[in-house]
Amino acid sequence: MSQDLPSRKEFLKQLSFITGTGLLAGSVPGVSFADSLNKRNFSANDRVRVGMIGVGSRGRYHTIVMNRIPQAEITSVCDNYPPYYERAKELTDGKADAYWDYRELLEKDQPDAVVIATPPHEHAQMTIDALESGAHVLCEKNMANTVDRTLDMYEAHKKTGNKLLIGMQRRFDIKYLQALKMIEEGFLSEITQIRAWWHRNGDWRRSVPDKDFPDWELDPEYPSLEHKLNWRLYREYSRGLVTELGTHQLDVANWFLDTLPLSVRGTGSINYWEDGREVYDNINLVYSYPKGVNVIYDSLISNKHYSLEEQVMGPEGTLEMQDGKYYYEKPPPAPGILQLISDIEDDLFGVTPLGGDSWNPQRAADTSGNYIVEEYPLPNRAVLQDEAFIESVRQGEELPDAAENGVYASVAVILGHEAMLQDKVIPWPEEKLAKRIDGYRIRPEFKS
Amino acid sequence: MKDTLITAKAKKRELIIFAVCLVAAVLVNVYAIMTYETQWSELYSMAGMVVAIAVFFYLVQWIVRLIVKGAVGIYRLVAG
Repeated sequence: MSQDLPSRKEFLKQLSFITGTGLLAGSVPGVSFADSLNKRNFSANDRVRVGMIGVGSRGRYHTIVMNRIPQAEITSVCDNYPPYYERAKELTDGKADAYWDYRELLEKDQPDAVVIATPPHEHAQMTIDALESGAHVLCEKNMANTVDRTLDMYEAHKKTGNKLLIGMQRRFDIKYLQALKMIEEGFLSEITQIRAWWHRNGDWRRSVPDKDFPDWELDPEYPSLEHKLNWRLYREYSRGLVTELGTHQLDVANWFLDTLPLSVRGTGSINYWEDGREVYDNINLVYSYPKGVNVIYDSLISNKHYSLEEQVMGPEGTLEMQDGKYYYEKPPPAPGILQLISDIEDDLFGVTPLGGDSWNPQRAADTSGNYIVEEYPLPNRAVLQDEAFIESVRQGEELPDAAENGVYASVAVILGHEAMLQDKVIPWPEEKLAKRIDGYRIRPEFKS
Repeated sequence: MKDTLITAKAKKRELIIFAVCLVAAVLVNVYAIMTYETQWSELYSMAGMVVAIAVFFYLVQWIVRLIVKGAVGIYRLVAG
């Protein structure tokens, strides 16, 4: 299996293969973002001025990463929760201007780019405001909690010409890129099914401090600090496991299959963590794709034995992405000389085969799999994502289909949530996307 | 303990014998490739195994020679 892996530097230069797959909305020939509102041209020594909006758990990580990217400079931070606000200042050694309100950050700091890592229900307006202010945006997933708001974000990106990248880091994982190459080279023959899951064992809660914060008022949209900190558990702010975890894996399914779902059905329940939460702790979904391919997804937070995985299956082989391995359906035969030695041993010692492939004097690696990428360790994909974003801003190069892919993953999981809530098959919103996504063509399955 | 002298002639003989064992091992590899219809690239990809087999052949012939030499020695001793 060939492994022409790019070096880190080459990887960042080859932005065109990071996210582009020729998916439906794909490339619109001749579109240029030269008329971007952010008209700053970067010289070789220029750094991208970055504003960090939301410095909770994920935002903290982005801040640490951005601090380490030489081509980026965090000039402003924003959070409206006192501990995170203070943390944001500490993480930048007090050098970045700190704000409570993101609008003030956009107006006063006027960054080249922002990273938005707030709860998903806040993403849409923040992203739209940032894009319209002239900033490029890296927004954490899920884009939004409704299809319409997801599309509003996309339209703001197209209208302003500023970049929009959604935080799905597997698109920057060298292992996944290598797997995609294997798929394109025919390793699986074709993909007939994908099975993905994400299991954890924990209540998914963040601790809520007892103390008050002087001179601070909770945002009016939250009835309590519990709701603000544990937004993931309440339907008004989150769609639960499917959007918080499933987005990544459904994006991989879209990417590897190079198409989009036709419909989704599923069921969810709260069968263990009955603590007043509103989102399911146990979800099961089936996404139907063209050519009869199904993507089966489940997520559970009352057992972590099987952890997480994406199994990509075809008649010729299997890819297991988290383990980073591939398996042949029909392992190649052992070298002739090993087979000869084995036969001589059998003749001399009368070993009776137990039968079947398990006995076959195959290489042991054939049953335990082979690594998709043999190099170790690999560069951190989340770091590569942030670096790629900064590099795309500096070079003025678009990340192909980045925003569209974010939309499709976002829509897929929002529909999954709806399917569970309504207990019915939800069709893909083909016509709506055709109206609002550039270049999106209605697929034959939807033509009457 | 006495010093052991290995003559140039003895070294040359052993090298030739090992070379013959190596050729035999290569021929075994060729036979295996043809019999089991595997890839000819195994001529070099299985080089390590071929060398191991050559070493095995060499050890076997060395043991045989030792046994023969021992038997001849015993015979001469008995025969007088």
